[in-house]
Amino acid sequence: MIGVFAGLLLRALFVLTGAALATFALLWHAPGDPALAIAEARYGQNVSKEVLGFIRAESGFDDGFWTAFWAWLAPLMQGDFGQSSVNGRDVWPDLVTAMSYTFPLALVSLALGLAVSVPLALIATRRPGSWLDRGAVALASVGVAIPAFWLGLLLILLFAVQLGWLPAMGAETTTHSILPAMTLGFGVAASLTRIIRSGILEARGQPFLPAFTRRGVARRDIARDHVAPHAAVPVVTVLGLELAFLLEGLVVVEVIFARPGLGSFLVNAVFARDFPKVQAVVLLAAVIFVVVNLAIDLIYRSLDPRVSCRDA
Amino acid sequence: MRSVYVLVAVFALLALCGPMLAPHDPTAINIPNRLRPPGEEWLLGTDALGRDILSRLLHGARWSLGLAFIVSLLGLIIGTAIGLIAAQGGRVADWIAMRATDTFLAFPELIAAVVIAGVLGASTASLIFALTLTGWMRYARVARGIGLSVSNRGYVIRARLAGLSPLAIARWHYLPSLLPSLIVVWSGMLARAILGISTLGFLGFGVQPPMPEWGTMLLDARIHMRSTPLQMIWPGLCVVISVLTINLAGDALRDALAEQDAKT
Repeated sequence: MIGVFAGLLLRALFVLTGAALATFALLWHAPGDPALAIAEARYGQNVSKEVLGFIRAESGFDDGFWTAFWAWLAPLMQGDFGQSSVNGRDVWPDLVTAMSYTFPLALVSLALGLAVSVPLALIATRRPGSWLDRGAVALASVGVAIPAFWLGLLLILLFAVQLGWLPAMGAETTTHSILPAMTLGFGVAASLTRIIRSGILEARGQPFLPAFTRRGVARRDIARDHVAPHAAVPVVTVLGLELAFLLEGLVVVEVIFARPGLGSFLVNAVFARDFPKVQAVVLLAAVIFVVVNLAIDLIYRSLDPRVSCRDA
Repeated sequence: MRSVYVLVAVFALLALCGPMLAPHDPTAINIPNRLRPPGEEWLLGTDALGRDILSRLLHGARWSLGLAFIVSLLGLIIGTAIGLIAAQGGRVADWIAMRATDTFLAFPELIAAVVIAGVLGASTASLIFALTLTGWMRYARVARGIGLSVSNRGYVIRARLAGLSPLAIARWHYLPSLLPSLIVVWSGMLARAILGISTLGFLGFGVQPPMPEWGTMLLDARIHMRSTPLQMIWPGLCVVISVLTINLAGDALRDALAEQDAKT
């Protein structure tokens, strides 16, 4: 087990290094002079050649790609995300503020998604093929096809513009989070319902289940001890994809509802060509994504004993 | 189930011939007739610049669906090539190809696409580049997985011993086993690409105005949500219906293939 864990950890580290390299390479090759962008942001238009030269030397732009990459990566590994190239402020405190808006919303949406999808899938699979089951499947199929930004706009149109019940823009109070959480939660619920439903149906079809029934084990106990663990395996496998889906939805939802979270932070930074900020968010997203996937991999192994027998 | 395939054909036709059916020029500005409600002259009304919404939707099919087709096809080609190199090229090639795949999978696809398209400057070319670069990994994994299982079969080993080139083996011995699974993955990626294109368009990083891509249209319509809410409904409905159709067709295809597998 320790060997497997070390292998997975090594792979995660490798992937993160690659991700940092890919991020830096993209911004390195971006059109326009990065030194000029930084200088204009700090000192306004008409920057002198000396200032440009100073910034180039400071950021390591003169010494080629690898030196500049190292000049960026070394402080990063000590937790220094650098300064915004637009207003010169430290990136990290702003990033923390943005996270304080994003993470609670993400968790609430995930909880909302689970709270809807698990009971819905359980009710739907009680009698497969019934109208209830078909309804759940239809709802889930439509839900997966609705882009988050359109659903968000429709909810604003209904609850904020037409009915006037809920605020649409900003993040000052908890009521401001209701519509964004509904938007994200609906998407999560739709895709999870599909997966949990097919997971349960597949687990029910396992050939060892009739043996338990004939031995007189109660239906309830079979469901808890034998169907549930089986159905959990495909659900845990796709949780990583679900997280990606949630992060992507967050970007759009924060932009629509004007919430100052990570998504707005990223989109604004990209528009302003504030590369230190862009790099910080992209790497943060990659770290979250890789760490969560590592955790999922470990849970998966403990759920399905067959997987841990194979090599990592 | 067959009706789903018919619907897919309808959408494909719409993407190809939609512009011919459009009653008006989709980019012709007509300020006196701006924000008209649906009526005889303008079946779905006009937008804030007086452009006919129906014509814009019909032309938009070519952008939204056509670009999604190109992006997902490029991903299919690149991903399959990388997956086959991993399966056929020995341990070192396999290791490099799979770690590259892992690295690209380390970013949520759409977020990476936003950053790439935004940094390169919003244009159709950077949109295609961004979505292709973030959309090949699943094909690569599937191609490698099936490729590895095929590579131990007798006919592949014999072909290799007979001195067939790796390219010929890939073409005649790997691709036929790969194709069914790849098409199922492709249908999923096509749906994702439609969502990705409209999302990037909506964020302002995709197809640029005045071109009538569905997501870009929603960006315009959003401003006039209070006065003409219907304007916001149509483009979104187009996205949902096309994505839903492709997803259902993909499911039907997967079930049909599973049935075929079970028979043999």
